[in-house]
Amino acid sequence: MTATTYQPGEIQGLIEIQASKCKGCDACKKFCPTNAIQGASGAVHSIDKELCLSCGQCLINCPFNAITENHSALETVIQKLADKNTKVVGIIAPAVRVAIGEEFGLGTGEIVTGKLYGAMNKAGFNIFDCNFAADLTIMEEGSEFIHRLHANAKGEANAGALPQFTSCCPGWVRYVETRYPNLLPNLSTAKSPQQMAGTVAKTYGAKVYDMQPEKIFTVAIMPCTSKKLEASRPEFNSAWQYHQEQGANVASYQDIDAVLTTREMAELLKLLEIDLATTPEFEGDSLFSEYTGAGTIFGTTGGVMEAAVRTAHKVLTGKEMAKLEFTPVRGLDGVKTASITLYDTELSQDVTINVAVVHDMGNNIEPILRDIMAGTSPYHFIEVMNCAGGCVNGGGQPINGSGSSWVGNI
Amino acid sequence: MTKKKYEFAEDNFFLSRRKFMVIGAAFAAVIAVPVGWFSSKLAKRNDYIKARSAGLYKDDTIAKVRVSHGNPAITKYYEEFGGKPLGHLSHDLLHTHFVDRTKLNS
Repeated sequence: MTATTYQPGEIQGLIEIQASKCKGCDACKKFCPTNAIQGASGAVHSIDKELCLSCGQCLINCPFNAITENHSALETVIQKLADKNTKVVGIIAPAVRVAIGEEFGLGTGEIVTGKLYGAMNKAGFNIFDCNFAADLTIMEEGSEFIHRLHANAKGEANAGALPQFTSCCPGWVRYVETRYPNLLPNLSTAKSPQQMAGTVAKTYGAKVYDMQPEKIFTVAIMPCTSKKLEASRPEFNSAWQYHQEQGANVASYQDIDAVLTTREMAELLKLLEIDLATTPEFEGDSLFSEYTGAGTIFGTTGGVMEAAVRTAHKVLTGKEMAKLEFTPVRGLDGVKTASITLYDTELSQDVTINVAVVHDMGNNIEPILRDIMAGTSPYHFIEVMNCAGGCVNGGGQPINGSGSSWVGNI
Repeated sequence: MTKKKYEFAEDNFFLSRRKFMVIGAAFAAVIAVPVGWFSSKLAKRNDYIKARSAGLYKDDTIAKVRVSHGNPAITKYYEEFGGKPLGHLSHDLLHTHFVDRTKLNS
């Protein structure tokens, strides 16, 4: 019996430092949210996999490209695309559409949703926009927040812990799970958009596609390395459990079968000789490509909160927000806070909701957690993203060689 | 013509004022280039993050629907299959539990 921070079946030690390339420059250490990187300056560094969140920030900031992932589903996905009996569903995260163009010579931040749909359609994917699942996340997580708020206001038993944390970011979730188990009740129980997308694709999607769920192969295209670890969590086979309860009897399968980073998706398209830059735009092939502006901003810090506030306002007051842009939660400040006072039709009184948005987690989260544990936190709802800037700067995104990683984080 | 000799020759260890200015200016210019180069690098090092974020906010602005509860596909999902948010099927399919990883053993 040795202590571990992994459940059976989970991808372990995803991020690795290649000893032959490491110069011991310490740049990576400035980006690690958990101080998981060991080794003296000048000596070859290594990563303690028990502390590592698999966020990949060290990987995208290593000046010597010495850091790699030990797991890639690229080969498997190419085989599945060639298999006529398999329906391959490509689930596209919000932040991918403003970054993958960089790998094909397009401008930084250029939106390439239509071209990406087109290129993936050409490669043989069915299009499932993870922004649809982000909208679904807001419905579930937002409802959960309002439920907790009302239950606490009425002093009900088992009201649910406040502040409620978002649970979209797998690095953040693993951080709480490995360091602050007493705060687990504060995490929203809503699955991340990736996991909702996989589950929906193999349950409701099986009906939409008119396909047996075990023949649907879900590929998530993510700006994130940690999403690989998340997809491998053993409890994330809810679609299989659902179908077993409905009478199916097949071997277990995961809700998400494979995760490709934005970089790996670009590599796949290049291997298949598809040039995203010149591909005609495509609209999508099912209702799963319908998404809203609220879903798409999930990919940047503050986006989940802004999307949640838009929907919470409608649910609580019965009216849409007059101005949808909720600017206090935008921008690159490490901790952004805001207060919203609105008329709650269920409680028949004005309520004030205090929200906070945290990114670049390693540098900003600790004081907030200390306040919560001391019982002095003023907040009701807190969005946390591990990476500086949110998913747009995730560990799976195209590497921007600005050559300034030695300075440290934002 | 005999060469005129000064009684007190200038100490050639020190540079003339003119030469000192020239060398000093050249030195300052050489220093200034990397300082400017570095500071502009520093100022711009997060621009790619800002550009990608700006892309997403633009995607929001041009979207036909800008609120999650207004997504017709979401309404259809709940009507045809999911029931309602926090409902029985949502609990089974869209929610999860978390793991206290300080207590795991292999």
